[in-house]
Amino acid sequence: MPEIVVEGVSKTQGGLLTLGEINVVAGAGDFIGILGPSGCGKSTLFNIISGLLRPDRGRVLIDGRDVTGRTGRVSYMRQKDLLLPSLNIVENVSIPLVLKGMPKKQACAEAAAHFKQFGLEGFEKYYPRQLSGGMRQRAAMLRTYLFSSDILLLDEPFASLDAITKRKMQTWLIDVFNVINPTVMYITHDVDEALYLCDRIYVLSDCPTVVKLEIRVPLCRPPHGRTIVDPEYGVIRDKVMEALEI
Amino acid sequence: MIIRPVVSVSMKRSKITADIFIPLVFIVFLLAGWEFTVKLRSIPDWLLPGPAKIVHTLVDNAPLIAKHARSTLVECLVGFAVAILFSFVVAFLMDEIPLFRKAVYPLIVASQTIPIVSVAPLFIIWFGYGMLPKIIVVVLVCFFPIAISLLSGLAAVDKDYLELFRSMQASRLKIFRMVKLPLSMPSFFAGLRISAAYSVMGAVIGEWLGAKQGLGTYMTLAQRSFQIDRVFAAILAVTVLSAALFLLVSFIERLVIPWNRLGEK
Repeated sequence: MPEIVVEGVSKTQGGLLTLGEINVVAGAGDFIGILGPSGCGKSTLFNIISGLLRPDRGRVLIDGRDVTGRTGRVSYMRQKDLLLPSLNIVENVSIPLVLKGMPKKQACAEAAAHFKQFGLEGFEKYYPRQLSGGMRQRAAMLRTYLFSSDILLLDEPFASLDAITKRKMQTWLIDVFNVINPTVMYITHDVDEALYLCDRIYVLSDCPTVVKLEIRVPLCRPPHGRTIVDPEYGVIRDKVMEALEI
Repeated sequence: MIIRPVVSVSMKRSKITADIFIPLVFIVFLLAGWEFTVKLRSIPDWLLPGPAKIVHTLVDNAPLIAKHARSTLVECLVGFAVAILFSFVVAFLMDEIPLFRKAVYPLIVASQTIPIVSVAPLFIIWFGYGMLPKIIVVVLVCFFPIAISLLSGLAAVDKDYLELFRSMQASRLKIFRMVKLPLSMPSFFAGLRISAAYSVMGAVIGEWLGAKQGLGTYMTLAQRSFQIDRVFAAILAVTVLSAALFLLVSFIERLVIPWNRLGEK
């Protein structure tokens, strides 16, 4: 499993210093949370890690290789599912494989092999518009996984879902994580979601964004899958809330 | 987890009643009023014939009108096809090359302000009385709505799609073919339906100003000899032709983008 190192990255966008100087490290197999207020440049950070944007300063290393400003190593999943309405689910999900040069038929077969694990079994031939929001997000996640199976960059993947579906998806994500064990970076602005899922959380400030707090969450992903009641949870939560100034 | 459209049979039936039956009744009502007025006030046929007389004329002259309609239809279809081809090339270039877009966009809009009736005679002077000048008029009429709807469809594609595909290292051509083109199809077909209906009008205008054949020619000849019932019969034929093309495009749309009819939740 690869390690992601974001080293002293800063970026000015539209004359505004969006990212101050960001240092973020995700060790192999880590589940890292990136928590911050809306519009603080969390997505810009993902655009830089995935190589869509080149930072003004600093660099991005994945497994020791400098991938700054180069696409192709990782893609990321967004809040919107971004499935093409013109293709059925299995065709949609196999797009990264097709783009990597695999024949379409083989790509679809390869993608279909993961449908059970991602809770999409039986829906191969359905079109995105026929599925619920939760199913579509799962398909989007499978597509991200098929592009780079060892790293998942997730940008508020469940933010558009209702609370009940969201919770179900979180438990499901934990199950998937435990099986495929990738390195995950998870952007959210939901404190409890971050504490529930992530080993370590980076709390970001408002623009210009810097890392305000880095905190370990020893209680994350409880095996019982229920609400965390350990008194320490409240202490960690308050620290995070304080860093967010709420 | 699946959302199936919940439409009961009775709902469907009442929708059909509302969509078809009500306008039909209204049209019959209008026609009856027209017929009644013409009969009651004994308006002469050369001034305003009633609907019954018009239908009668249409049936009587069916072979002749069909012959004229055929050449009008050929002009429409050829012009329509050329306009589509042309729109695709221009829209693709405008979408991919910003400089080209900037240069050409005002020109395309300006072209739409040229009154067709004023340039159509020029085409006849330049290209004679054959089909070519009519086809050019049809292309001029159809090009604008098709090109603009395709362009706005391409421009409306969510930038996040493009970023996602760029991050997966898709080439520009692949992004256009896999993302932009399919996503802009609904908008493209909206423009296509409009210009399908317009295309007949374009051809008739072209013929009106001078032709050997076509519904426009037939109309001018009938009008000059005060055979108003024949003018109306030709108008009816034009309407049917326009509606048929409109329906044909809608049918093709269903075949090409069946996914678009799956209701968004």
